[in-house]
Amino acid sequence: MVIATLVTLAFLVLIGQLWYLQVLEGGRFLDASDKNRIRVRPIAAPRGILFDRHGTPLVDNRPAFTLSLIPRELPRDVEARDAVLGRVASLLHIPFQELVDAVTRVQPDSLLPVRVRRGLTLADVAQVEEWRLELPGVIAEVEPQRVYPTSRFAAHLLGYVREANDEQLKQGRYRRGDMVGQSGLERLLDEHLRGQDGGERIEVDAMGRPVRRVQQTEPHAGAQVITTVDRGIQEAAERAMEGHAGAVVVMDPRSGDVLAMVSTPAFEIDRFTGTIERDAWLRVVQDPNFPLLNRTIQSQYAPGSVFKILVAAAGLQEGTLTPLDRTHCTGEFHLGASTFKDWKEGGHGTVNLHEAIVQSCNVFFYEAGLRIGGAAIVRYASAFGFGQPTAIHLPGEKNGLLPRPQLGRGRQGRAYPAGETVNMSIGQGTVLVTPMQVARFMAAIANGGVLWRPRLVQRVERPDHGVVWSDEGQVNGHVELSPVVWAFLRQSLWSVVNDGGTGAAARIPGLDIAGKTGTAQMIAKSKAEKGQDHAWFAAFAPAKAPEVVVVVIAERGGKGGQVAAPIARKILNAIFFEKIAAVEIAG
Amino acid sequence: MLRIDRRLLQNVDWALLAIAFGLVVMSTVTLASLHVGRAGGSVVVRQVLWFAVGLTVMVLLASLDYRRLVRAAPALYLLGLVGLAAVFVLGRTVSGARRWIVLGPMSIQPSELFKICFVLIVVWAITSRWAQPVGKLTIALILPIVAVPAVLIIKQPDLGTALLLIPVLTILLVGAGLRLKVLGGLALAALSAMPLAWLALKDYQRERILVFLDPFRDPLGSAYNVIQAKIAIGSGQLLGKGVAGATQSRLAFLPERHTDFIFAVFAEMWGFVGCLILLLCYVLLLLRGFDIAATAREPVGRLVALGATALFAVQVLINVGMVTGLLPVVGIPLPLMSYGGSSMVASFMTLGLLLSVRMRQFQ
Repeated sequence: MVIATLVTLAFLVLIGQLWYLQVLEGGRFLDASDKNRIRVRPIAAPRGILFDRHGTPLVDNRPAFTLSLIPRELPRDVEARDAVLGRVASLLHIPFQELVDAVTRVQPDSLLPVRVRRGLTLADVAQVEEWRLELPGVIAEVEPQRVYPTSRFAAHLLGYVREANDEQLKQGRYRRGDMVGQSGLERLLDEHLRGQDGGERIEVDAMGRPVRRVQQTEPHAGAQVITTVDRGIQEAAERAMEGHAGAVVVMDPRSGDVLAMVSTPAFEIDRFTGTIERDAWLRVVQDPNFPLLNRTIQSQYAPGSVFKILVAAAGLQEGTLTPLDRTHCTGEFHLGASTFKDWKEGGHGTVNLHEAIVQSCNVFFYEAGLRIGGAAIVRYASAFGFGQPTAIHLPGEKNGLLPRPQLGRGRQGRAYPAGETVNMSIGQGTVLVTPMQVARFMAAIANGGVLWRPRLVQRVERPDHGVVWSDEGQVNGHVELSPVVWAFLRQSLWSVVNDGGTGAAARIPGLDIAGKTGTAQMIAKSKAEKGQDHAWFAAFAPAKAPEVVVVVIAERGGKGGQVAAPIARKILNAIFFEKIAAVEIAG
Repeated sequence: MLRIDRRLLQNVDWALLAIAFGLVVMSTVTLASLHVGRAGGSVVVRQVLWFAVGLTVMVLLASLDYRRLVRAAPALYLLGLVGLAAVFVLGRTVSGARRWIVLGPMSIQPSELFKICFVLIVVWAITSRWAQPVGKLTIALILPIVAVPAVLIIKQPDLGTALLLIPVLTILLVGAGLRLKVLGGLALAALSAMPLAWLALKDYQRERILVFLDPFRDPLGSAYNVIQAKIAIGSGQLLGKGVAGATQSRLAFLPERHTDFIFAVFAEMWGFVGCLILLLCYVLLLLRGFDIAATAREPVGRLVALGATALFAVQVLINVGMVTGLLPVVGIPLPLMSYGGSSMVASFMTLGLLLSVRMRQFQ
């Protein structure tokens, strides 16, 4: 009887415990059981598409396979797990350590897939599927991936997209494995382009095998970006620059729209998207030609004779120079003990200002520069936007450089020493400009003094929200010159190309091109470097009612008229005479 | 031998059988809803087959006079020891323990069947003339009889079954009239031996006890069972989730769900009310057993019935206690509910013993 009572009491204890678990705490355990069986699987949102000004895509997405590991579903035993990872490593030729690192970085019971390799081939996926039963926790997911018309197309303009790096993860805005724009427009507009990842709520069994889908949130694709770029012109410019290191900027002087932006050599934009091996990365980073540099805004060059346009403008407007001034050029100019040479052996003979621009006579400008004075030249250069960023919406823009006044130290009471002024007059010495600054300057010459902030993006649109961001264009400076001066400059620049000037190689019958050659001298440190000057050509067309500005710089190309002008001619020819057909993006 | 007396048939305890069959039906339904095993219903089919085997064995045992069985206890005991020892030679290892002997398509767990031999040998020893009166001497006599199989079972290792023997033994001793003072001394001695026992435990067994004290010590490791079982039971709430909604069980979050943890499955499906009914069945079964012991006319019958009932009671209490998180996890199945042939046969043998005593209570 005692025993029977004790046993019954023990049962009452059990019932008490059941009452506690099921009735008092039941709700909490119900939540826990839901949490157990529901997995949230993120669905990557496709990145927004970048379009050119005519609506042709510059970049697109295509479905690609990504290999991911789900830590929670890998074998818990380290040896068994390493066996699985080892098999993956040998099947797909991924370094084993890379897989181990990827898994050890996250919580071992994490259910979020850890992406280990993007852009798997179909053969890779077939391998993984074939071994599926032996590879618990290894999945091949379909995710949208960037696809480019060609490997290097507009690489600097678009920028590459890559998984968030450690530093970006620290900012807390990204999750591991998120694709983030790392340069160019992809970086600038990343917030808009990224879109919003969706997710699936899936009921899974204890092995993590999906049983059914409970709920799904659709991913919201990133916003569409309508740029100012003209894909046809961009392609033509890239073609024209083939084989040269340097940069091209094509701008609409009426709006500041950047129609093309080329920096060569370019990097292979699509290689950065996937997994890049260490040596491949180092090869790009340590390449002596700096393929990652966007030369249009990040390289600073001496403007060379292109600067003569500015010197002429300053002199004419200030009245220190007139079209009637003449100089006899013997090929040499003496200032104190120093001798400054003309590029032409023996000189140009007697030239006036117009001829000096057309023939790019240095000696004329040495003298003119001294008359105008360093201070005035720097003042005008500043007004035309040199020495300041163009405020283009791209990261990493360089300011360029203008000589600084030497306060109270000048020997003849001048802020700029005569030697510096002489050098400056032909765009050498301490004057440095970026191709984008030159493009803006040429646009101002072409449009009568309006300094546009170069515009790359017209607007950002979301299908459901309409325009979420737009750039109406902005004038960030205005240079007032007498109309006579503008007319004179344009006339002279037309002659450079069309009237036996240094830019004759840019001439296209039937199109009035105005332009100026330039040769930025490199200070030759050795014989081998001699003659390796940077070749400039800055042009606009049609000369009477300019629609485009084309600025070309070919590094170590030699003379501007011989190297840069033909490149500009090809581009202008493509813009005005070749039917630029918008080509569908392959892939 | 099988000539059955009319009087015997009149005294068959139909209520006991009805409750037992009811539990088997609940077990079958629960197992059928789990879809364990290779071909869907294979577990259910096997369970039903074992039920048939158990039923046969039960009828066989009931028809035998329990007194003859107790007389044969030493032989059965030795046979049981041979079975336990055979595990080490012929045994099959399942999840780290050698508890099974494979015989063709089936595997037998000798420690399950040994429980019956254990009850019989203890009754035999207590009622033997050297053990009278029941006191310290009796314990001294019984201790080696218990120790040998206990060591063998612990070595398998099957701590649960070994632990089961102690309360059954205690209940039998109390039933035989052991004074509580002696029992108290015994308990004290056992308590003082605990630290020694700790040293003798395997790592995983220590871990289970630590986990019992702190379930979130290692949520995905050894505490996984306990936590998942609690979630399953708790999420059943008052009325249960039904067969389709029992995600913990159906989606296999619950380990050992068709064997030791079947109570959690049942609790998830049928909730507190269902559990109440299930436990009530067990309580009725046990009260019936205690009644058989109480109405037996002579000590051997009383002790056999008491031992058989104690076997049931202790298994049910330990199993439900561990599944609900009141006790550390030890591998003890829930009699008549858990899937397992040996356990099923052993349970019906226990019932057979009870029936045998009941049928002969007026002889």
